[in-house]
Amino acid sequence: MKIRKELWFGFALMALLIAGTAVMLLSADKVTNGHLGLMMLSLVVVAIMLGFPTAFTLMGMGMIFTWIAYEENTSKTLTLMVQSAFKVMGNDVLIAIPLFVFMGYLVERANLIEKLFRSMHLAMSRVPGSLAVATLFTCAVFATATGIVGAVVTLMGLLAFPQMLRGGYDVRVSAGAITAGGCLGILIPPSVMLIVYGATAGVSVVQLYAGAFFPGLMLAGLYVLYIVILAKLKPALMPPLSAAERFVPLPPLTEPIATHIGNTALPALLLALKGRSNVDVPLGHILKQLGVVLLPAMLFLAVAGLSWNSNTRPLNADERADLARSTATLESGGGLQTLGADEEESRRSGSGLAEPPAANAGDLKEPPAEGDLKEPPAEGDLNEPPATDDLKEPPGADDGAAPTEAGSASAGGVREPPPETEATAPAGRTPATQGWYIGTGVGALALLGFYAMLSFQRLEIFKMLLSSFFPLLVLIISVLGSIVMGLATPTEAAAVGALGGFLLAVAYRQFNLTMLKESVFLTAKTSAMVCWLFVGSAIFSAAFALLGGQELVENWVMSMNLSKTEFLVLSQVIIFILGWPLEWTEIIVIFMPIFIPLLDNFGVDPLFFGLLVALNLQTAFLSPPVAMAAFYLKGVSPPHVTLNQIFAGMLPFMGIQVIAIVLLYQFPAIGLWLPEVLYR
Amino acid sequence: MQRLLLLVDRTSTWLGQLFAWLIVALTLMISWEVFSRYVLNEPHDWALDAQIMMYGTLFMMAGAYTLSKNGHVRGDVLYGFFRPRTQATLDLLLYFMFFMPGVVALTYAGWIFANESLAIRESTFSATPLPLYPFKFAIPLAGGMLLLQGIVEMVRCIACLRTGVWPSRERDVEEVDVDKLKAMVHVKDEDIAGLDKFVVKQGAAK
Repeated sequence: MKIRKELWFGFALMALLIAGTAVMLLSADKVTNGHLGLMMLSLVVVAIMLGFPTAFTLMGMGMIFTWIAYEENTSKTLTLMVQSAFKVMGNDVLIAIPLFVFMGYLVERANLIEKLFRSMHLAMSRVPGSLAVATLFTCAVFATATGIVGAVVTLMGLLAFPQMLRGGYDVRVSAGAITAGGCLGILIPPSVMLIVYGATAGVSVVQLYAGAFFPGLMLAGLYVLYIVILAKLKPALMPPLSAAERFVPLPPLTEPIATHIGNTALPALLLALKGRSNVDVPLGHILKQLGVVLLPAMLFLAVAGLSWNSNTRPLNADERADLARSTATLESGGGLQTLGADEEESRRSGSGLAEPPAANAGDLKEPPAEGDLKEPPAEGDLNEPPATDDLKEPPGADDGAAPTEAGSASAGGVREPPPETEATAPAGRTPATQGWYIGTGVGALALLGFYAMLSFQRLEIFKMLLSSFFPLLVLIISVLGSIVMGLATPTEAAAVGALGGFLLAVAYRQFNLTMLKESVFLTAKTSAMVCWLFVGSAIFSAAFALLGGQELVENWVMSMNLSKTEFLVLSQVIIFILGWPLEWTEIIVIFMPIFIPLLDNFGVDPLFFGLLVALNLQTAFLSPPVAMAAFYLKGVSPPHVTLNQIFAGMLPFMGIQVIAIVLLYQFPAIGLWLPEVLYR
Repeated sequence: MQRLLLLVDRTSTWLGQLFAWLIVALTLMISWEVFSRYVLNEPHDWALDAQIMMYGTLFMMAGAYTLSKNGHVRGDVLYGFFRPRTQATLDLLLYFMFFMPGVVALTYAGWIFANESLAIRESTFSATPLPLYPFKFAIPLAGGMLLLQGIVEMVRCIACLRTGVWPSRERDVEEVDVDKLKAMVHVKDEDIAGLDKFVVKQGAAK
């Protein structure tokens, strides 16, 4: 029988593990229970590699070793098992998993991705490597909202890959952009991986979300940067789009205004309003266009006004609590209203939303319009003044932090006087802070620039974005925002997000019973997969702890006299290697309980460690030969695209991930700044 | 015999799918609770307990369903490269070694656990107590279903050992159903095949 290379490699790894265990057992002076624990650990890795469903491997092995640890006392073993299972059933962190998964399936089936990609690639047509950049953006947004790697990669393989190939893009670069982008959803919150880590390590999911936000953005930003630089250096790999591909057709009613009056949307429309007889366009149409054009301005005014209000309002403790309640109301209502508005707007096929509902401002905090139509999108978004407003809104932050930490969903009734934070507004009616003036000024300038550049073609793109990109953005921001600002627990935000996904599907006319049924069943299967894994690992970890394996590991690690850096590097390398044979769920539920107790000895923050691990496990998705993303893409690509080409395309992105890990390690503030500002 | 196996398959699927609908109830209930708390200012103290019970029942009952669709995560590094007979041998062996003892113990212990709870009519710890014992009965129920499904899977392994191919499973929704996704974004197979010339051209240029 001929054995393939992959098998040899795997068997060699297994043999190595078993041999190592044997050596350890033989060399120990006396085989203690702790040694048995380590043996169990290595056996479980071998058993998992054999391919049996992991949950049951863990459960069975855990039970057998618990029984040994309890000196063959069956009734104690049984009690421990059922208690562990029941603990998982009653876990108030894991409850968010089915909800987020459900939201993901609903959003995926709302079928926004086609429109999203089209509008993105038109909006970015002037950026070097525009199609690849648009792919990354689409992936990032869509993957964040859905969190389903396989579906995102497949869909982008169907949509973006043909476009890029037709545009003369290099196969490897295109494949790399799709696979790397599709995996971003694992890291950028709201992601299931962070919930799993939080539940295993006992770290607050809220803080993890706040912490992973900027590293996630940074990783996406690095990808985009890489593509842009590569396109500049080697234009042959990514030729610019031809004029025909950039062409945006104008609707017949807008056309005369553009040709007769002028192509800058705002003044032209205003002029057309006055001298309407010249061009013979119905008033209703002009007003609708004007409404869309003025949307960002109104939004800006609303945000500026609201933030000025909260910035200068005199407050005492009681009023503050009151305000907290009303803000909360406003915000949570806002999420729903906004979606309702989107629904209406899409029914009118994006032709015009008369005015933004007031509550809208709560969610649409940043007017991303500016940021996105101008060339450097990342810069635009980050500099927007409302970002600072977000942080400044004191009542939200105060109000939320308390209930979430208490971890109770019914905390609405318990309202302690909010603790003072540095972000809290001053107690008297004071003049607005300097930050507010700066923020508003920058915002106003951006707005002016936006209107100066807004041609009718760009207006069309803006409208397309409005109906594809913004609904998703609003969904993500309202889910994430309410969690991070502490308005809602992750569970609540996930449920409201699922409802939002549901409304989105209805709004885009993709909703029917089959679709709902499929989403429901898939949700059940995915949740069962993750949560049964937790049941298995709960039993397994209990056995490991009972045997005293933890103590042995701890003594062993401490005896190596590692410095903090050495320890971190070593642990990340181990996790990286484990990412090859195991999946991220398995790594987190089996190995995190072993790593986490060690962190204390080295003074490492479990939150920070979690961010490193999350970044690290990203690479597991892209490392050949088991990278799932590559196989999904291969499944939908033309026959002459080889797996090797796809792998070669993924390698630079893996390199970027390693750079991102190093950056995060060097500057922990990238991840820890936001949680610190919000919660400490 | 064959019919009996299919019956088990269908039962666990049906049961899992039935409880899967809890996710809709859960979504609506939590959304309502959020609304009720923030807008009506009227939180319910039993809401969290009820939510947790729904979630726990949902995933426990879906365990057998997931197993019947081969949906539990497994280490795919080597397994995927084995021939079906090797796969079946390993699976059968490990079903005996890990699955059976684990699940039998869980079911048995769960049965005792739930019955103890029933005996004292255990309820949750809050101002509006909810009965806790039905929730605990989810453990033996899910365990029992899982056990039956496990036996079916073992029979599948034996069938595979005999014939050398895995017996087929009933179709179910898949996370990545390529054909459905293709239909969703209006891409046809010919379109993909048509792209090949670009790839070939690129290869020739080098």
